[in-house]
Amino acid sequence: MTFCFDMERRRLLTTAAALGAGLAAGFLPLAARAQISSIAAPQPDDAESDRIAAEFLQGAVPLPQGLALDLPALGDNPAAVPVRVHLTEPVDEALFCQELIVLAQRNPRPLICRFRFTPLTGAADVALRVRLMQSMGLRALARMSDGRFLEARADITVAAGGCGM
Amino acid sequence: MSRPPRIWISTETPARGEIVRVRAQIVHPMETGFRTLADGLALPMDIVTRFRAFLDDDLLLEWLPETAVSQNPYIEFTFAALRSGALRMVWTDASGDFAEASKTLTLAAA
Amino acid sequence: MIRRRSLLTAAPAVALGMALTGQRAVAAPAALTSDSTLLPRGGKSPRIVICGGGWGGLSSARHLRDQLPDAEIIVLERNPFFWSCPMSNKWLIDVVDTAFLTHDMMAPAIKYGYHLVQCEVTGIERDKKIVRTSKGNVDYDFLILAGGIRNAYDVWFGDDVAAAEYTRMHFPSAYIPSAEHLALKNMMRNFKGGTIVMTLPPPPHRCPPSPYERACMLAWHFKVNRIPAKILILDPKPGVAPIGAGYRAAFDELYPDIITHVPNARVKELDPWNKRIMTEAGDFDFDEAILMPTHQAAEMVYYADLIGTDDKGNSTGWADMDPRFYHARSDDSVYIVGDSMGAISPHFGHYPKSAHVANYIARIVARNIGQRVRGQEVVAELPDNLCYMLVNGDPLEAISVEFTYELGPDGLVHQTQIDIDVRTPDLLDEDFVWANGMFNDFLL
Repeated sequence: MTFCFDMERRRLLTTAAALGAGLAAGFLPLAARAQISSIAAPQPDDAESDRIAAEFLQGAVPLPQGLALDLPALGDNPAAVPVRVHLTEPVDEALFCQELIVLAQRNPRPLICRFRFTPLTGAADVALRVRLMQSMGLRALARMSDGRFLEARADITVAAGGCGM
Repeated sequence: MSRPPRIWISTETPARGEIVRVRAQIVHPMETGFRTLADGLALPMDIVTRFRAFLDDDLLLEWLPETAVSQNPYIEFTFAALRSGALRMVWTDASGDFAEASKTLTLAAA
Repeated sequence: MIRRRSLLTAAPAVALGMALTGQRAVAAPAALTSDSTLLPRGGKSPRIVICGGGWGGLSSARHLRDQLPDAEIIVLERNPFFWSCPMSNKWLIDVVDTAFLTHDMMAPAIKYGYHLVQCEVTGIERDKKIVRTSKGNVDYDFLILAGGIRNAYDVWFGDDVAAAEYTRMHFPSAYIPSAEHLALKNMMRNFKGGTIVMTLPPPPHRCPPSPYERACMLAWHFKVNRIPAKILILDPKPGVAPIGAGYRAAFDELYPDIITHVPNARVKELDPWNKRIMTEAGDFDFDEAILMPTHQAAEMVYYADLIGTDDKGNSTGWADMDPRFYHARSDDSVYIVGDSMGAISPHFGHYPKSAHVANYIARIVARNIGQRVRGQEVVAELPDNLCYMLVNGDPLEAISVEFTYELGPDGLVHQTQIDIDVRTPDLLDEDFVWANGMFNDFLL
């Protein structure tokens, strides 16, 4: 049953997961995990991030207000840094955030994610966990239904290593 | 993926217009495609590509993660409760829609 | 084989009927001397002595029996019954009862065929391969030190034993199975209002997420019983960790008027008589307290002279051990299992000092000792870790953290930590699956 004794760790993990005890279900088995390296390289500058931002802005100049980007002072686990982005102005069915992007400027792929909202959402307040390759600046850009773009920026220092990228 | 999504909702009986907060987390490796095995073979990219939240069939929010989103993706969002309905959440990766969860939302009597 | 030898020893007396009739005068118990023997050696089979009958020790004994059917396995434990620290926070608010935490240790000893002796380890002489105990000496071929932690009150009080003892008696930390858990529950139930201070040890310490769970359980009790209590968590770390986001959400949303987390609050000075604590984040008066001092390896690791030193020659407070094979760096006949273990990797420091890791390392060490006795290649293995923490009493909602380990290209162990911060009832269900699975493994 659960904890069979001479099992390989891999089987143990699988069994535990089947019982709902391990969260590693579907992850690469240990035998293969044992020697993993990464070819991920940080962006040398903000160029790629700026390119993605420009594509999103389509020539518009974002307002440095109305949007908040909350980060912890120190990302003690660079594999899961909490990030919250939210509008600081009220929204309604007529005026709302249509689309939001979040950028990690020096990550191998700077675009962290994209959100799309609808008139039904009635809010634009999201939080997630991100992997950061190193200490860097983050950027959030929002496209509003009235054609305005809002921007928020923040810097974060992360503990080195273990990013899992 | 056999593990169920973890869902938390601030209230299942909100007042009309009340902001409801939702937290959802799913087990997924979020393999970036950057990692290689000792023999140089790259581990193929395997990430959650889309998360959608619906109230019945109406879209509330769409989230499109990329490789920087952490393993076992966590998402927290809010919406204004304007009517009762089923809050439905769907996760998608390269294999298609692989997980779904729902909570019933019933507006409190005014 | 233990069973056969025991029978042989007992046979002559039984055959003559003397032991039963009491006709022959039996020698009176003699006072212990430094030469007293606890258990004489029988045959040639290897003898493995396990100091500590907690999660690591009993798991080691049980799995060694699978590995080495003929070995003589002896567990030395000071407590008369097994008390599970895991799940004991939930016991504070009666999510589980006392019977869930306590277990008969004789049954697994008989089932798996090992000696269980209730005694205190008082010394270890590695040159003679002898463990000294309150019931005599016992020699070993392999020794497993599974003593858990010691409460290092000396870090606060130096050699002021009076202050340390007053603190231990009045503001027990309840992180080692003892009378302290009962005292803590009574303190919570009798508390009429005011401020409770809870100090967290600096890392590494036993069960890192559990002090926050304990704060939630106390806060839940005060909330439902409408007791005007404030709980100050004095944390030497800069933030709540692990599962920081899940805990912060619980503090803010469930117990906003009760729990205050104070970061960077390393204890500078403590006056237990006047109920005052001075920290780097300010000074606080308290009505009640759970004062957890620094944790270090169990005393027995000190007795064995196996405590590590850092680059500057200072004591690490933890065992100096091989990070891949779990035996002492200077003595490969001595293994360290569980919370006494020293640092594993410069990437993350110690394995989490958890029951799950103790059980896991115990299985690995049992296999490794089995391989050595059989003359096979010793295979290095890595554990994993899993913790579930209850944060809400109604509905019963828990959060969790998982750690996985892999060997990196640098030859060092790497850690991946996954926090599940969304509190849900099913995580508590999983916790019970985990706990029952563990109890089934080595206690039932």
